[in-house]
Amino acid sequence: MILDLHTHSVRSDDGRAKVDNYCQWIRKKELPLDGFVLTEHRQYDDTSDYRDLEDQYGLLILKASEVETDYGHVLVFGVNDDLVHAFDFARVDNPIGEVLDAARRCGAVAAPCHPGRVNVGLFAHYEAKGPVEGVDLVEIYNGGSRPGEDEFSEARAAEFGYKGFGGSDSHIVSRIGYCATEFEDPIGSMDDLMAALRGGRFEARTWRT
Amino acid sequence: MANVDLQAVRDEWVGKVYDTTEFPIDAQHLVDWAVACGETESRFTEPDDADFQAHPGYVSHFTAGRWTPKGFPELGNGRGVDGGKAVEIFGPIRPGDVLTASTEIADVYDKTGRSGTMIFVVNRMTFRNQHGDKVATVDWRQIRATDG
Repeated sequence: MILDLHTHSVRSDDGRAKVDNYCQWIRKKELPLDGFVLTEHRQYDDTSDYRDLEDQYGLLILKASEVETDYGHVLVFGVNDDLVHAFDFARVDNPIGEVLDAARRCGAVAAPCHPGRVNVGLFAHYEAKGPVEGVDLVEIYNGGSRPGEDEFSEARAAEFGYKGFGGSDSHIVSRIGYCATEFEDPIGSMDDLMAALRGGRFEARTWRT
Repeated sequence: MANVDLQAVRDEWVGKVYDTTEFPIDAQHLVDWAVACGETESRFTEPDDADFQAHPGYVSHFTAGRWTPKGFPELGNGRGVDGGKAVEIFGPIRPGDVLTASTEIADVYDKTGRSGTMIFVVNRMTFRNQHGDKVATVDWRQIRATDG
């Protein structure tokens, strides 16, 4: 089962893709995706309901968040009320330790994304400030990476023993599915996804040329 | 993080209308705009069409008399770029209409990216016709670079 774990819709300030258009694109282009996760910037969208689209297109659509920390951007899967109140999703300088701790305490999974990117990537901050405790997963394939960024991420993830996943980081419809994650088990819910991520039963995939 | 208290800026400025400008709507301008956009639907290109109206992006070219309100703080390090406009249409705009645009600061926020921390200032123009009907909004994002 293949899911794009990192996408943005018009709910993000810089997103230009409507969720139904993502679905249409996946089916029209026959992309090998079984679903995707919406990771809106600095917020958790607890109002949108995509169940009708899931039924119409036969896709799994889950919701998560992309938050900003002093060590770059972090995807958070399994956001709940406790986590929303544990730190300020809108801030751009959340201490990463607090985000990782809060996610663990609230039953969520936090994973740095595009870690090889300057300014907003985990490993760029490692160079200056040293590594942090509590990181298990990082996004090694990101659809918005510049040449060399993913290679750097993959090498550093291996060095630190982090498991790598993939996501397109799409902000427009045609970018969805550039990178994704293939799971060994069927995923039907956020709980399934978090269990698979915690268990390491997945591989990062990329279709970038 | 941007070296400024953005919450204080939001508290002071968001929602305050700082410019009001009228824009009369001319049929030929509507046609010219639609044609320049490559539009072929007659309701946007033919004044004789029973449903002739402005192309959805038409209002995006109108600008307020000021970029920011008087007294608005200098944010960032002076370098800025145009972050684009988002248009939302609520009703048709017809030739002969006189639109009144009220402009306010809709949001001020920061975010981080490859180039560091950036501050976004969102200006919202709300267009109402001569009947008082809201017909469109245009959100324009100014992006201010910081040294963060």
